[in-house]
Amino acid sequence: MNIWKISLKNIKSKPLYTFSSIFILALSIALLLGIRQLETSFKYQMQNNLGKIDLVIGAKGSPLQLVLASVLHMDNPTGNILYEDAKKIGKSPFIKTAVPISYGDNYKGYKIVGSTANFATLYDAKLEKGSAIKKPMEVILGSTVAEQLQLKIGDTFLSSHGLLENDIDIHSEHLTIVGIYQPTNKTIDRLIVTSLESIWDVHEEAEHEKDENHLGHHENHEKGKEITSLLVSFRSPSAFLTLPRKINKDTNMQAVLPKYELEKLYRYTGVGFKTISWIAYMILIISCITIFVSLYKMVKERAFDLALLRTYGASNFQLTRMIAYEGLIIGLLAFLLGLLLSKAGLYFMLRIMETEYQQNTLQKLPLQEFLQIVLLVVVMVTFSILLAIYPIMKMNISTTLSNEK
Amino acid sequence: MVQIDRLTFQYKKEKHLFSFPNIDLKERENLLIIGKSGIGKTTFLHLLAGLLTPISGKIVIGGVDIHSISHSELDKFRGQNIGLVFQKKHAIQSLNVVENLQARLFLSKKSISNTKIDFLLEQLDISDCKNSKLNTLSEGQLQRLGIVMAVIHNPQVILADEPTSSLDDESCTIVIELLIKQAKLTNANLIVITHDHRIKSLFSNSITL
Repeated sequence: MNIWKISLKNIKSKPLYTFSSIFILALSIALLLGIRQLETSFKYQMQNNLGKIDLVIGAKGSPLQLVLASVLHMDNPTGNILYEDAKKIGKSPFIKTAVPISYGDNYKGYKIVGSTANFATLYDAKLEKGSAIKKPMEVILGSTVAEQLQLKIGDTFLSSHGLLENDIDIHSEHLTIVGIYQPTNKTIDRLIVTSLESIWDVHEEAEHEKDENHLGHHENHEKGKEITSLLVSFRSPSAFLTLPRKINKDTNMQAVLPKYELEKLYRYTGVGFKTISWIAYMILIISCITIFVSLYKMVKERAFDLALLRTYGASNFQLTRMIAYEGLIIGLLAFLLGLLLSKAGLYFMLRIMETEYQQNTLQKLPLQEFLQIVLLVVVMVTFSILLAIYPIMKMNISTTLSNEK
Repeated sequence: MVQIDRLTFQYKKEKHLFSFPNIDLKERENLLIIGKSGIGKTTFLHLLAGLLTPISGKIVIGGVDIHSISHSELDKFRGQNIGLVFQKKHAIQSLNVVENLQARLFLSKKSISNTKIDFLLEQLDISDCKNSKLNTLSEGQLQRLGIVMAVIHNPQVILADEPTSSLDDESCTIVIELLIKQAKLTNANLIVITHDHRIKSLFSNSITL
C-alpha cells in the first residue's frame, strides 16, 4: 500500500468522473495534435512541392493560378506563352535551369506534362525502372500514377483532351510507357511526364484535322510553338529581385515567385487552421475545468475521508500528493488516448482525402511543436490540480470530523 | 497513560471558554465521559487527539506533551499512538476492508502485517468481508471495522466519539465490550465520550462534563 495505490483506488471508485475527465481532455489533446500535424504537413507539402523552382513564367493572369497550375498541378493554366519567348529568357545569366512545361491532356484524371529531361531533376526524381524518353509519344509515369492505375512499362494508352477525365474528347495517338519514377512525395508522383513534342504532336494532329489547309508546320519545328509555362531556378539570390520585375515589365508574360504566392495562399487557409486551433484550446480549457471540478468535488465530497486519513497519520503533503497523482494519472491517460485519437483521426481523414486529391504525405509533427503541446497540457493540468488541492490546505480536520453524517 | 492538566479551549470568533477536568489515567485504565450535546465532548476528544490546539493546559500521552511538538511530529504521533472510533463513518469509501487496514498501517508508518489484519478481522467476525467494498457492509460490520481500524496499529489511546448512538441496545453493549476487550489486548487506554447512558454500567470509571 502506498499513496499511488490509494490514488488509483480513488480513481477507480468513480469511473464516470474519471472517464469523462479523461475523454474530454483526450479530445482536446487529439485536436491540438491533429491540427498542428495537418498544418505542418500542409506547409511542408507546399514547400516541398516547389522542388527547385524559384520562378514560374507563364501567360498573364492570376499569379496564384499560374503557381497552382504549373507547380502544384492543381488548377487550369492561365494560358500559353510562345516557346521562343521563353527560350530567350532562359538564356539570362541569372538563370541556372529553365524547364518548359506544356499541358493540355490527362489520362484518367492524371495530368500529362510535356517537358524536357530537366523536369525530373527539379524534383530529384530518379527512374525506378525503364529508360528516359527518346522520342515523341513516350511517357514516364510518376510512382502514384503507376501504382493507382496498375500500369507497367510497355503499356500504351490514349490521352483525353483537357485536364479532367472524360471519354468524349480522346486523342487518337497512343502513348507508350517507357519508364516509372521512384516515389518522391512530391507532385511528380501524380504526373505523367512526356516530351514537349508529344504534346505538340497530339494537338497538331487535332488541329490538323480541323484545318486541312494548315501547311508547312514541320519545316520549322519549334517556330510558333507554345508552352504553358517555364519553371526557373536561379543561379544567384539577387535574381529574386531583378528578374521577375524585368519580365513583368518588358514582356507580355508574367513572372511569379511561387514561394511568395504559396505563402499568401497559406495565410488564407491558415485562418481555418487557426480557428480549429482556437476551438481545441477552448476544449482544453473546458477539460481542465472538468478535471478541476472532479478533483475539487472529490476533495469536498470526501472531506471526511481526507480528515480520516489525517487521523491515520497522513500528512497534508501526503494528501496533496494523493490528489496530485489522481490528476496526473488522468492527465497521462488522456494524453495517451489523445495521441491515439489524433493518429486514428488523421489516418481516416487521409484515407478519405487520398482518393479525392491523390495526395497523401503526412509529415511527422516536429518535436518542438509536440513538446509545446505537452507543456501546455502539463501546465493546464497542474493548474487545475493546484486549484483542487487548495481546500486541503485550508481543511480543518476537527470541524470536518465533527460534521460526520 | 494519559494526563490532562488544566485544559482550556476557545473557538475562534466565539466567546465561550471551555475548561476541562483534570484526568490521570494509568496503564489499561478506561474512562467514560458523559455529557449533553453542545457541552464540548467532541472538542475535548479532538484536543486529546491533537486535532485542536488548546488555549492553555497540557495533554501528556505516553510521556509526550502532544501540544509541545511540531505539526508534522504531531501528525506522526497521532497516526502511531491514537486510534479514533467514530459514530458512522469508519473507513475510506474508495478502499475495501483489507485495503483500508493496509492504508491505515502504511500512513502510520507501521509495517503491514497481513497475519495481524486477518487475526483482528477474525476476532471481530468480519473476515468474510475482507475484500468487500464498504458500501456492501452492514452497519454492525462497519462499526466493527471501525474498531479494527482504531486498534490495528497498537495505539496507546483509543478515543471513541459517540460510538453507540446509532445502535440498538444489544449492539451497543457488544460494541463497547469489543472496544474494552481490544483496548485490553493492546494495552491501550480507552476513552469513550457519549451522551448514551446505556453504557455507563460497562465502565468503572466515568466523569460527567
